[in-house]
Amino acid sequence: MNKVYILGGAQTDFERNWTKEGKGMIALLKEVMADGLKEAGLTFDGVKKLNEENRVACFVGNFIAEKYTDQGHLGAFLTEVNPAFYGVPSARYEAACASSSVAIDAAQTKIKSEDYDIAIVVGWELMKTVESHIGGDYLGRAAYYEKEGKGIDLPFPKLFGKLADETLKKYPELDEKRYMNALANISVINYTNAKRNPLAQTRKWFMSYEQAKTRDTETNPLVGGRLGISDCSQVTDGAAVVVLASEKYIEGHGIKNKPIIKGYGHRTAPMLFDKKMADNERSEYVLPWTRQTVLDAYRRSGLTVDDIDVFETHDCFTSSEYAAISAFGLTEPGKEYEAVESGLIAFNGGKPINPSGGLIGCGHPVGASGARMLLDLYKQVTGTAGGYQVKNVKNGIMLNIGGSATTNYVFVVGKE
Amino acid sequence: MMNIKTVSVIGVTGTMGANIAGIFASFGNAKVYCIGRNIDKVRKTIPRIVKSVKADAISKNLIPADFSMLEDCVRESDLVFESSKEDIGVKIEIAKRVGATLQPHAISGTGSSGLSITKIAEYYPEELRGHFFGIHMFNPPYTLPLCELTPTAYSDSKTKEELKEYLNIKLIRTVVEVKDSPAFLGNRIGFQFINEALQYAEKYKDNGGIDYIDALLGPFTGRTMAPLTTSDFVGLDVHRAIVENIYENTKDYVHDTFILPAFVQKLVESGKLGRKSGAGLYQLIKYENGLKRQTVYDINTGLYRDLIPYAFPFADKMKRGIAEGDYDKAFERLVNNHSQEAEICLSFLLKYIIYSLYATEEVGYDVTAADDVMATGFNWCPPLALFEALSTVTDVRTLIHERLPDICQKIDVDHYLADVKPSKYDYRLYFKSGRKSL
Repeated sequence: MNKVYILGGAQTDFERNWTKEGKGMIALLKEVMADGLKEAGLTFDGVKKLNEENRVACFVGNFIAEKYTDQGHLGAFLTEVNPAFYGVPSARYEAACASSSVAIDAAQTKIKSEDYDIAIVVGWELMKTVESHIGGDYLGRAAYYEKEGKGIDLPFPKLFGKLADETLKKYPELDEKRYMNALANISVINYTNAKRNPLAQTRKWFMSYEQAKTRDTETNPLVGGRLGISDCSQVTDGAAVVVLASEKYIEGHGIKNKPIIKGYGHRTAPMLFDKKMADNERSEYVLPWTRQTVLDAYRRSGLTVDDIDVFETHDCFTSSEYAAISAFGLTEPGKEYEAVESGLIAFNGGKPINPSGGLIGCGHPVGASGARMLLDLYKQVTGTAGGYQVKNVKNGIMLNIGGSATTNYVFVVGKE
Repeated sequence: MMNIKTVSVIGVTGTMGANIAGIFASFGNAKVYCIGRNIDKVRKTIPRIVKSVKADAISKNLIPADFSMLEDCVRESDLVFESSKEDIGVKIEIAKRVGATLQPHAISGTGSSGLSITKIAEYYPEELRGHFFGIHMFNPPYTLPLCELTPTAYSDSKTKEELKEYLNIKLIRTVVEVKDSPAFLGNRIGFQFINEALQYAEKYKDNGGIDYIDALLGPFTGRTMAPLTTSDFVGLDVHRAIVENIYENTKDYVHDTFILPAFVQKLVESGKLGRKSGAGLYQLIKYENGLKRQTVYDINTGLYRDLIPYAFPFADKMKRGIAEGDYDKAFERLVNNHSQEAEICLSFLLKYIIYSLYATEEVGYDVTAADDVMATGFNWCPPLALFEALSTVTDVRTLIHERLPDICQKIDVDHYLADVKPSKYDYRLYFKSGRKSL
């Protein structure tokens, strides 16, 4: 099968509040598309040319623009961004916070099948168009809204607070304080990493271990069960573009040293959180389908955790990053705190997670996060991550989840 | 990295003092002696400090103290930061007291926004002068990371480099080294712009004056807040102190633009200092039923009146372009529209570019200094990025010669333009439409 190369891409500055700038989705998409194509060595004229031969397509990842910006039909919307997209096949893909990962998957499939030579993936979300509790209610639609979202204030923090409870329940030998301090540490690592990322939302914010582990205070209120605001990812406006290319395109254009997507995993866990937990009784893992997704990606790429030099994970809450540690295979299930306490997952550790700052530090424009992670893996593997470059990266892995770890997506990116 | 474990902030009840104490206590994780004249007032300030960095965890780092304890605090400190009233007499008195007890290894800094750092340095004992600097931050420092660092002729260069590193890495500041020149760099450039805008408000008072000028230089021209609104926010008394200081102590080609307009003088004298005193250039009237009405000072009548809903075709077009991400269309409109309003607007932007380059040469060390100070201290589209923005539609050098013939006669504009280089700041995020997004 055809190899899938990553040519590059761009993300917007996640610190920006587009509503405050008086700009909407059209400005967001114009900017990120112009930057993304440029970074990938493409032009709008080039797209036009490729389209004459039907060799290019667009894949739009977005969760819920219908609510945030009153707009649907988002694949077609790209024609408003630039006339170069007239006639270019384009559709929107949705799987809650894993929306742009589905878009990436569709894109890589079309490259592998040799239908297209260039696949432009753009993930985006504008979340600051509404006040945070209204936005929180919108996000409830990533769960079973009728049963888990409707009428509940901030449903997702509560679901991931429950994940924390379930983790403690599943591993009775796990000391609660040790667990909560590990979560605080995860938060601090992400905030600290974000300081090195010039496009991270929280790059100027203050966070310390002391602040993160002291929950239920005025500045660190509880938002979901035992989780405080410091355990929580951000409400973010942003977009990310990644451009994938076929072998034929790479060879035809004499392009060298671009990474490839080595493998992927895609699994869907039961939608309802309680069913998800009931389902994990058969497994040592609190999120068995998340673990399975990682295993699938390792199998498809022919790699193991030992081959992975950098990790980007879905830390929508510290409790989800905690579960991801064993899902990646960095520790035994139930022993995730070891990787936190030993510094293994810190920026200078042997297996750094989220050098970008992740969803907590870099920000979480939900429909963009998958594309942003893939872009960060591209940067790490090509040595272009600047201030947050991890040394000697050959392979990287990303985990992007939708809902309460319902849709699970993993991609492995590496040097050929 | 410098090991700053204990800090004394003198004058902590002021806005800047409080916010800076928050920066040392949070990012710096230092024990901070919060020194004020009245300890009860200091105690009441502590929650404000905690709030400024949104972290209860720092409260254990904040220790209230009053002036009688100053020597004890200083003796224990690795860094002493004076943030007292902008009065040279007061600062000298404090310098003498600090200098008498400061440890030999410790750093001492003043937050003065424009007084002579060298003069204050001279009140320190000779052996301590090498460790004294101007450390000027902007308000609020949590969101505006600019820190202008001013060494003096006495400063020890190794200490300076270490302090720079500490401010930059540990305190997450954008550090710009500037010369000991009145108001330093950011305020020199920013208040030149703002004060000239005030002069224009007087000049065009028959067109509406204050709100007329603000409507021409609003967020769609590359800033969060229109310039006269900014002055109202900063406080007209503070504004006056800054421009008077520059006017008295510098002499450059825009010298006259630092003269405070008579109407502002009048407002200050009648206690109308801006937002903090309830009225100034603007007055927000609050009714008992919760409704609010924004009014503006009418220079002709001396009364507050409703804002005029100006609709300038060039500005509307620009806002529409910006809202849709078509920045080039916005700039094209600005450059090609020859209404009085568009010409005033463009001339301000071009003058800002030139004056920034000029002032940087005089006060800074590198052309990028102007970009750093304006982006991170004012949140304005910085001059090099603005140059880049306008260059997408026109040759800016030619435009400057066309539109600013007087300035081109006064200074060698091409000499300054020769320094222009690509900006590290993205101009797009500074241009705001001021409209509700789509």
